[in-house]
Amino acid sequence: MNTLALSAGLTGAPEAVLFWILAPLIVLAAIGMILVKKAVHSALLLAYIMISLAIFYIAQDAPFLGVVQIVVYTGAVMMLFLFILMLVGVDSADSLVETIRGQRVVALLAGLSLGALLIGALGRSLLGAGIAGGAVGLDQANSGGNVQGLATLLFSRYVWAFEVVSALLITAALGAMVLGHRERPVPRRTQRQLSEDRFREGSELPGAPLPSPGVFSRHNAVDIPALLPDGSPAPTSVSRVIKARGDVLPTAPFELNKESQGEQK
Amino acid sequence: MNFHVPVIQYAEVLPILIVLGAAVLGVLVEAFIPRSLRYVFQVVISLGSILLAFVAVVRLHGTSHVAVEGSVVVDGPTLFLQGTLLLLAIGGVLLIAERGLDTGGSAFTAHAATLPGSEAERTALASGIIQTEVFPLTLFALGGMLLFPAAGDLVTMFVALEVLSLPLYLMSGLARRRRLLSQEAALKYFLLGAFSSAFFLYGSALIYGYAGTVSLSGIREAISSNAGNDLVLLMGVALVTVGLLFKVSAVPFHAWTPDVYQGAPTPVTAFMAACTKVAAFGAILRLFYVGLSGLRWDWRPMLSGVAIVTMVLGVIWALTQTDMKRMLAYSSIAHAGFILTGVVAVNKAGLEGSLFYLAAYGFTTIGAFAIVTLVRDSTGEATHLSQWSGLARRSPLVASTFALFLLAYAGIPLTSGFVAKFAVFAAAYSSGSSALVIVGVLSSAIAAFFYIRVIVLMFFAEPKEDGPTVVVPPIMTTAAITLAASVTLVLGVMPSSVLDLIKSAARFTF
Repeated sequence: MNTLALSAGLTGAPEAVLFWILAPLIVLAAIGMILVKKAVHSALLLAYIMISLAIFYIAQDAPFLGVVQIVVYTGAVMMLFLFILMLVGVDSADSLVETIRGQRVVALLAGLSLGALLIGALGRSLLGAGIAGGAVGLDQANSGGNVQGLATLLFSRYVWAFEVVSALLITAALGAMVLGHRERPVPRRTQRQLSEDRFREGSELPGAPLPSPGVFSRHNAVDIPALLPDGSPAPTSVSRVIKARGDVLPTAPFELNKESQGEQK
Repeated sequence: MNFHVPVIQYAEVLPILIVLGAAVLGVLVEAFIPRSLRYVFQVVISLGSILLAFVAVVRLHGTSHVAVEGSVVVDGPTLFLQGTLLLLAIGGVLLIAERGLDTGGSAFTAHAATLPGSEAERTALASGIIQTEVFPLTLFALGGMLLFPAAGDLVTMFVALEVLSLPLYLMSGLARRRRLLSQEAALKYFLLGAFSSAFFLYGSALIYGYAGTVSLSGIREAISSNAGNDLVLLMGVALVTVGLLFKVSAVPFHAWTPDVYQGAPTPVTAFMAACTKVAAFGAILRLFYVGLSGLRWDWRPMLSGVAIVTMVLGVIWALTQTDMKRMLAYSSIAHAGFILTGVVAVNKAGLEGSLFYLAAYGFTTIGAFAIVTLVRDSTGEATHLSQWSGLARRSPLVASTFALFLLAYAGIPLTSGFVAKFAVFAAAYSSGSSALVIVGVLSSAIAAFFYIRVIVLMFFAEPKEDGPTVVVPPIMTTAAITLAASVTLVLGVMPSSVLDLIKSAARFTF
């Protein structure tokens, strides 16, 4: 077992222990990420995978990559994911109806066979050929310090790629603006204009504030319309979001005339 | 640790710098210039920078140098492809800038952030706003395309791939009409593109594991000295190839093409279909001719297989289409197969043939999609084939120009397509792959059938009663079509000067 772990690129027994504890958990989390129903759970599992990967990186003598993995991916990208999930609505579920028959089975088979092929070939090439001694050239690469070594490469040999990535970032920012930013075609109406509109003749909105819902706090009061002096429900008293969701409770049991009918039964 | 100060040959990367710089300038215009002036600024900046970059490319003529610490290779094929890309981009930008065709003012959405069919969308449409961010996005994509065939290592190649792809994903979703279709196209393109990028990246990592370097010349040396484990190398090559074949839409990585070509605004489709193919084939040529030429006995059978499947399935699917844009999409898949027959020749003739094919195909594509923007009815472009029947009665000039482009696609003599097809098939034959040539010629025959079917439909069928109208092309579209048509004709009638140019240019530096 120990030699296997060594040839897979690990350098010592503590790392082997770390690997064999974390690796199965990551794989489980990755499978779970795809299988769980709720997007938030999926995102949390992804965060778990990313942090575990960061631990691996640090254990493999790549501290910079590990820290970046935590700061950038787990800290920034994952949190953005969660923000967007919250904005879109945690409840919103995708339609899982297959439009092409049998697609999922075929895709699963093809994906599994590709995975098996890659794992088989990689395993054969790494284990069969007997690359012993683990990482090659790691000490040389880290000789002047891990961060310093990366910086040297990034700002000399790969400075062009590094600079061109800025074009990518600008494109991403521009794209987010194009797809997400809404400009007002007409200027926002001021408080004064809104107020004047309310009192203008023929206005559908009342001059006074809307009636508050739930005069009888017997349920989740916001979902029961208030009753007007004549005993009928005031439709404007319930938030339209609740109305749209269809969560409004009937007021019949609370209305005076209905109540007496109820007693007769 | 001593730091090596990188040497950047600014003159040699000037075309890329000009285009990317102009793109950044375009973003600033979006931020600071009032809306009414933005369009003029953007068009001037885009066209001006492309022309400047073209001048810079011409001035670099004859350069053969590995620049910027090995990241960028400026040599004959790079410069030829960059020149081609810039000329194609002029056509593309002219089509994108066109505002005289759609009754709404432009092929692009008034406000991409509004939901299709919503109240906000109606207000935005009524206010007459047209977003102009598409211009800097085009320039960013173009910058990535200029870098893609010049990349000297896999990291630069990957960054260039992303720089060219990301703006295209966005631009596909900006159509003014049939917005849900357009957004669906953008999402499909984005998801599949991201997936294929991951393949490319993993392949690069495996190749690095084999060679210990990502630079193409280093990989070449490692292969020739048989440095490490072949299995890792082969897997790496296969995965990198998946990423590149996705971009040129070769079967079986073509699934996105028809949907994206159909859903994207037609000017974007024109730009994307022409320029992406040129850039991506440039990268394929460099990777396989420079980095992996020592491995040719392993990748040639694979690419030959892909070429055969791409040609055959491309033309067969194109045969069954009833939508003009989808038909052109499948025909572009088939053309990817034809160009691949030139690539697998792995000799100088193959390189020359592929370069010529790319130039010829690019201009024809710009022209063909430009014509598609002209045939309209009240709901926008009329892309159903049946709507094109009898088009020559309404507008003989437009129908004849479209017929020219279709004949060029089909490879009929006196058009650029004939010379191009001849060049790649001759190269494939000279390298001994006669099976490939036979399949290629047979597929060309099938392809000719459906191209000529459209011509027959336009010229000899009765026009429909309530058929679409052919808009008289406004100045910019006219310019783009004229550019495309004249190049298609000149490359067909007098190809010798361009062939000579390619002959002198077709030598990779590494």
